[in-house]
Amino acid sequence: MTKTAATTLTSTAQPEDFFQLLKPRVMSLVVFTGATGLAVAPGSMNPVVAAIAILCIAVGAGAAGALNMALEGETDALMRRTRGRPVAAGRVNKNDAMAFGCILSLFSVMLLGMNTNWLAAGLLALTIVYYAGFYTLMLKRRTPQNIVIGGAAGAFPPVIGWAAATGSAPWQAWLLFAIIFLWTPPHSWALALYSAGDYAKAGIPMMPVARGAKSTRLQILIYSLIFVPVAIAPGLVGMGGWIYLAVSILGGLGFLGLAFRLWRSKAGDSVGAEGPDKAEAVGREAALYDVKAQSKPARNLFAFSILYLMALFAALLVEHLSNLPTVSF
Amino acid sequence: MPTTFLRLTPEEVAARKRRNVWIALGLVAFIVLLFTTTFLRMMHNQKVAHEANAAMATSSPVNAQGRMSPPSTVSGQ
Repeated sequence: MTKTAATTLTSTAQPEDFFQLLKPRVMSLVVFTGATGLAVAPGSMNPVVAAIAILCIAVGAGAAGALNMALEGETDALMRRTRGRPVAAGRVNKNDAMAFGCILSLFSVMLLGMNTNWLAAGLLALTIVYYAGFYTLMLKRRTPQNIVIGGAAGAFPPVIGWAAATGSAPWQAWLLFAIIFLWTPPHSWALALYSAGDYAKAGIPMMPVARGAKSTRLQILIYSLIFVPVAIAPGLVGMGGWIYLAVSILGGLGFLGLAFRLWRSKAGDSVGAEGPDKAEAVGREAALYDVKAQSKPARNLFAFSILYLMALFAALLVEHLSNLPTVSF
Repeated sequence: MPTTFLRLTPEEVAARKRRNVWIALGLVAFIVLLFTTTFLRMMHNQKVAHEANAAMATSSPVNAQGRMSPPSTVSGQ
């Protein structure tokens, strides 16, 4: 018997550990944005076909997460935020996680292709390869722009949803892509500002580690200034209604206000045991928001960014599911 | 012929059993989804074919029964 087979056989990994490999929290965001893309796309779709398509997108995203954890096990073990993950903690061995990710990728892409069309399936396959191959293996350790370019992987689900519904990916679908793509840098860097110590320890060149906190705060402000008009755009081009327009403008002003306050603050100037770095002391979830006074502007933007993105997509989803009229100028 | 065998602990056996049950459930779910997808696709294709036949029958001057269709009353179309 080979060593690998013996390791698999003697493993005490539970089904819950494999479920954790799918990154359920990321998966829930993917389901939400993918479903919005599917609902906003013109035309009607059989609800069962739509449900299977969303399931495929979710499983595909989960498979990418499993491959990421399999490839990143050693790095994850160095960071307090991620050392409890199944591969990093040694509960699931790397090869099992890899096989699990590959099989789920194959099944989800194949089923989505058969269920809807091969454009949607191709985009899902591209997302998996982009995240697990391009981002995890190549970008993450090489450039401080890692999450800017890698953010595209998280932005694909609404385009996949749209393609699943219509068989095409017009500019409206790419507008939804642009919203998530431009949202990612301010969101991720706000978190990185108060958890830079963890990234530095693992040798990951996140922006605050590679360029410093001051430069990161400025870049967050610049990205926010680009992101907010793009977030409002669907309300101006006939994709969203009055609810969307109100949510995007009011939330956008809040987002810019928090980004401006962060830019003027000294958040991230002293790298210490903050945020995810002290996950062991206060718990993983609480550690994301439990920070020192100096880092509060970064924490506030991080928390608000999640709320704002959710509100934008929820507004679009509600308007289209209840057939509310779009705004025309 | 192997002479040494791996002896699993009760925890390892229990974990393997649970994993196997979930793999089986996953495979059954996949088969059900595949069947549902195929069935829905066939229904959809049948509906499209019926609609195409109906459209051809109404637009063609010689309809399905071999009789001439009445001329269109809408001018300028």
